[in-house]
Amino acid sequence: MRELTVKQLFEDKRKDFALSLVTEPQTINKKIVTPYFNRPGLALAGWLEVFTPERIQIFGEAEVRYLQSLKEQTMLERLREFFKMDIPCVIISKGLSLPPSVEYLANDFNIAIFSSRLSTVQLISQINRYLMDVFALEKTIHATLVDVFGLGILITGKSGIGKSECALDLISRGHSLVGDDMINMRNLNDKIIGRSGREFGHFMEIRGVGVVNVEKMFGIERVRHEKTIDMQIELMPWQENTEYERIGLKGNYVEHLGVKLPIIYLPISPGKNVSVIVEVAAMNQILKGVGYDAAEDFNRKIHEEIRKQTLFKKVQATEDDPKNGNSK
Amino acid sequence: MIQKTVTVNNEHGLHARPAALIVRTATKFRSDFFIERDGVKVNGKSIMGVMMLAAENGAVLTLSAEGVDAEYLIEEIAAMIEGGFGT
Repeated sequence: MRELTVKQLFEDKRKDFALSLVTEPQTINKKIVTPYFNRPGLALAGWLEVFTPERIQIFGEAEVRYLQSLKEQTMLERLREFFKMDIPCVIISKGLSLPPSVEYLANDFNIAIFSSRLSTVQLISQINRYLMDVFALEKTIHATLVDVFGLGILITGKSGIGKSECALDLISRGHSLVGDDMINMRNLNDKIIGRSGREFGHFMEIRGVGVVNVEKMFGIERVRHEKTIDMQIELMPWQENTEYERIGLKGNYVEHLGVKLPIIYLPISPGKNVSVIVEVAAMNQILKGVGYDAAEDFNRKIHEEIRKQTLFKKVQATEDDPKNGNSK
Repeated sequence: MIQKTVTVNNEHGLHARPAALIVRTATKFRSDFFIERDGVKVNGKSIMGVMMLAAENGAVLTLSAEGVDAEYLIEEIAAMIEGGFGT
């Protein structure tokens, strides 16, 4: 989780949020500690019991009109109680403004007030997106991330097992690379977004060749900046006495940042074309996504066949039974 | 070569899960392993083969194995099938 100050928010999003600072410049040094915002309607009416002061406070038309309806004395009283709670900052939407006496009061409490020209709904959705992005859970892992048929596939496995080589094969078959070796993962609305852990381009180390630049070699269409991760494929050396998935009826899952992703443990051995298997796994996952599970379908067909045989046997048994003629 | 005749003893026959169990157990052994039913013989270490038998409850299967641990293989698999896969 990154740390965010009001100052940083202002610098990052001044243009996007159409912000201008109403109070003195030194008021913007407060920290923002949660990814949520608050509409403080009830707090301004004096009810401060379930108030969340650590959040960014957004004044829409309702708050501003309400404050304007109060006598100046009462309004300042209420705001004094409000500012005492040590809030990070106030953003007023729709380009609305409050009387200068409010600005002075905010300066006294060292609380920043911004004015935004965006409508309240726009402002809230933009702020939400920005804060979720900043405060997203994240981690960086040793893996390779590729886009195969539009599916984000995270390839993991021990160093030297052939993650990069597999990715390279996939790229030359027309798929694209997101990142190699170091992948940064972030939880955005319970989706895992992966991107390269390094910001300086799509380089890859291929053992025996050295470092190559995938973007220069294969072109811009074979690289991607970021991609939602849909599944993980763990490459592992083939071992004699290990059990591998044979049918696929019970799926395996792995958890990253609180999100469950399907995982395939793929044993590799010389002569096995791993990238084709990755393609097949991706296509199978896409089919599952649209509601077709080959393993289930196959099992159902076997069940049907078994049932037919059982029925057939029963019929034969009753025909063979001499007592059968007497019963109805 | 060791042979043994068994009867499928679980309610739903050899559908995916029991078949997978047989194959998984069989692959632990080094011997070659086959299952035969009504003249159709399949490799007991191939999951597709075993499932394709579509052996229902009461079906009679002939297990055969050849190799160093054939005896143990047959013993274990036969016990599994006749025991109804522990159900």
